[in-house]
Amino acid sequence: MKTPFRLDEHPRRGPQPLSSPPAGYFEQLPTRIMAQVAAPARRPQPLAWLWAAPASLRTGLASTLLLGTFAASLWLGNTPLGRPAATADTLAAVPQQQLLEYLTNGETHVDMLDLAELPTRQLGLTKHYLRPSASELTAALDGQPADEPGVL
Amino acid sequence: MEDPEILLKFQDPASRNLAFNQLVRKYQQKVYWHVRKMVVDHADADDLTQDVFVKVFQHLANFRQDAALFTWIYRIATNECLSFLQSKRRKFFLPLNDVGAELAAKLEADPAIAGDEIELRLQKAILRLPDKQRLVFNLRYYDEMPYEQMAEVTGTSVGALKASYHHAARKIEDYVTKADNLTAATDEAD
Repeated sequence: MKTPFRLDEHPRRGPQPLSSPPAGYFEQLPTRIMAQVAAPARRPQPLAWLWAAPASLRTGLASTLLLGTFAASLWLGNTPLGRPAATADTLAAVPQQQLLEYLTNGETHVDMLDLAELPTRQLGLTKHYLRPSASELTAALDGQPADEPGVL
Repeated sequence: MEDPEILLKFQDPASRNLAFNQLVRKYQQKVYWHVRKMVVDHADADDLTQDVFVKVFQHLANFRQDAALFTWIYRIATNECLSFLQSKRRKFFLPLNDVGAELAAKLEADPAIAGDEIELRLQKAILRLPDKQRLVFNLRYYDEMPYEQMAEVTGTSVGALKASYHHAARKIEDYVTKADNLTAATDEAD
């Protein structure tokens, strides 16, 4: 068995036990470091003040920004946009013949019946028809032939 | 140029670069070797040394002078080294021993040590220490830094540092002794 190793008996290799860096390394190092620190100094960061601000201020700014975004999205969501009006104007500028050709060209699955102009329904007449008075109803029933079982 | 003069000139934008250049020239070797002993590889030590001085430049205006300038620079260098080794382990998903093995392989390739069997064993034993204990050992054994200054660099009490150093020295002696005995037994068997 060999003698136990003792650190204080071991010859110390000075403060640098490893191999030296490449020749000229310490002559070039200051220049390389100065190149690194000089470059950012010429280009100040536009938001550098934000990082230097206290954490409470940054939190406040972030909350305000978040609330502002939320409020803006709500406001924009409730405001009617000008787009439908613009679309209607654009459509009005298209000649009727072109519209008709487009709608009946077979790909749009629209036929002439869909495009037919139907007479406007007289809502007043319908309303009156569906809500007859008692005397009108009696007169209508009396006027029906007695041999029609479906009516009675 | 003395430290107070460097600091004074650094405050003036007109002489800032000149002062910082003097600071780098004054402390570059100490910083480099402090880092190199921790990371072993020259390329890594080069990158880290540059990072250390860039951080020194960025924060020197806020240096309060409640510690010596070099102690403050040493502290930045120490933190950079520990962060580097920690991120290296996280990045490669390697357990402690594998990073140690990687550093040991770099050590074996170092021409200054490769031919010296005892020195190689000593360096390998140092590499087996946990990072913070290795740092304490390097500061005391190689840099011969007083415990009070080490306490400022590491933010640890003098008592804890003394205990850590003696514990590290004991572990290193045990490791090298066992390695010597193993080699002797192998030689006898041959």
